[in-house]
Amino acid sequence: MPYRAEISRKNPGCFLFLVDQSGSMEDPFGGESGRKKADEMATILNKLIHNISLRCAKSDAIYDYFHVGVLGYSEDKSKPALGGSLAGKELVPISELANNPLRIEDRTKKQDDGAGGIVEQSVKFPVWFDPTWSGGTPMCAALKEAQGVIKKWSAEHAKGFPPIVINITDGESSDGDPVADAKALTGLGTDDGPTLLFNVHLSSTAGAPIELPGKPDGLPDQYAKQLFEMSSVLTPFMVGRARELGMAVDETSRGFVFNAQPVQVIQFLDIGTRPAQLR
Amino acid sequence: MSSGSPFAIAAFWCQKAGNAVEEYEDAWSVRRVGETAGCRVAIADGATETSYSKIWATLLVESYIRDSVTGPEFFDRLEAARRLWRQRAFRNTRPLPWYAAEKAKQGAFATFLGFELNVAGKVWRAVAIGDSCMFQLDAAKQEMRVVQAFPLSRSTEFGTSPYLVGSNPEGAATVGAHAEVCQGSLRRDDLILFATDALSAWLLRREEDRAPAWKEACESIAEQSDFEVFVQRARDDGMRNDDVTLLRVTFRG
Repeated sequence: MPYRAEISRKNPGCFLFLVDQSGSMEDPFGGESGRKKADEMATILNKLIHNISLRCAKSDAIYDYFHVGVLGYSEDKSKPALGGSLAGKELVPISELANNPLRIEDRTKKQDDGAGGIVEQSVKFPVWFDPTWSGGTPMCAALKEAQGVIKKWSAEHAKGFPPIVINITDGESSDGDPVADAKALTGLGTDDGPTLLFNVHLSSTAGAPIELPGKPDGLPDQYAKQLFEMSSVLTPFMVGRARELGMAVDETSRGFVFNAQPVQVIQFLDIGTRPAQLR
Repeated sequence: MSSGSPFAIAAFWCQKAGNAVEEYEDAWSVRRVGETAGCRVAIADGATETSYSKIWATLLVESYIRDSVTGPEFFDRLEAARRLWRQRAFRNTRPLPWYAAEKAKQGAFATFLGFELNVAGKVWRAVAIGDSCMFQLDAAKQEMRVVQAFPLSRSTEFGTSPYLVGSNPEGAATVGAHAEVCQGSLRRDDLILFATDALSAWLLRREEDRAPAWKEACESIAEQSDFEVFVQRARDDGMRNDDVTLLRVTFRG
């Protein structure tokens, strides 16, 4: 049965993010006038890396349960998008990423005080990725580049949990129909199963967020439907974990979200017992 | 326990395969109550995904065996344990990296099962949060019949995200509401096993598959090396790779 490989320091998992840095990412997000899609993209990516780092933190260390990479695509090409000392690197162990953000900002976070109230708590917010946009949306080039990265990683981790690729975009590919390249990407994998491709669609269209749908009905446009088509069906463990997190999913649900922050995706993999209270 | 005791307790444990022995995060403790009146047994499993959870699991079991209560009220009496956890977890004055500091703020979490046996009255009471389990077995039967499994009784009830006991004061007032309590009486030839989740789930699955392994868990393990062989066989048979703890209480006369 696929997707059963244990994720551990000896047998790490892999997250590869594909991020759309095209000119259209400058447009407003979700009908909001003051917020760009590129801002939302940066927030999502920073939160995802933050959450992976926190999941892997243990006492005064961080365990390399995952290798993580970011490919950006804009103009007519795709290239590694991490900055600072990680510039040019395709995949790095999570400890290297967690220890090398571009900067750490102080922010406040509203939190349940356990007695029915809300308290504001000061938190460190590491930033790995700033908003940027220019040119076209070469999504096919990004998916091809990802194939190379995933092929190499999978060969080196043949017994590992299959890689997870998360594509974050406003949807409109400028270098052709991305479905075939997406299928080629999910045709790669490890002995434990095919690569999983999830898509996060950031649209200028206002509307209720859509999370992990099982059918394309109700998706707002052809780009959303195309991204849905490209997205992998969740594994049985992921469906179970999503239910534990209170999400409405079933066995047909796909790794696709529309105008939503998919931060819970990071909880969809098993690296050990996680308290229900930390959902 | 001493040779004059009406019961004997054997304990075995091993860490998750691939981990160092110091990364074992289960904890257990046993205390005899009075001369022959009984004993208190506690077992806890520190959550992999939280920091300093071994310290917390140890504090929980030590708190229980030194206490006298047997029900959910135990979880209202953890103030000192929480204070000690903070002292021990944060005794390092070196500044932590951002991720370690933020994770430590979330606190540590652990399962907990506490059990008190009154040998004279042959009655027991247990309280639990999470998925560490106890099994009362009738050893007179050929394959050892399960008299009581607590708090879980089916392998499908085990998940990877149970409600656990936390080391932070936030939410502490409501922890007891999540506790389950069970009581029973002990008959001649009964024995009791305590196990953390991976082993508990595997033992229950074997029972459901009509290939029970109770006898193996009770009679084939005399020493740590036997336990390690037993655990390896269970892992080869699909037991989740995790820290494993087994406590076995047998009675005389």
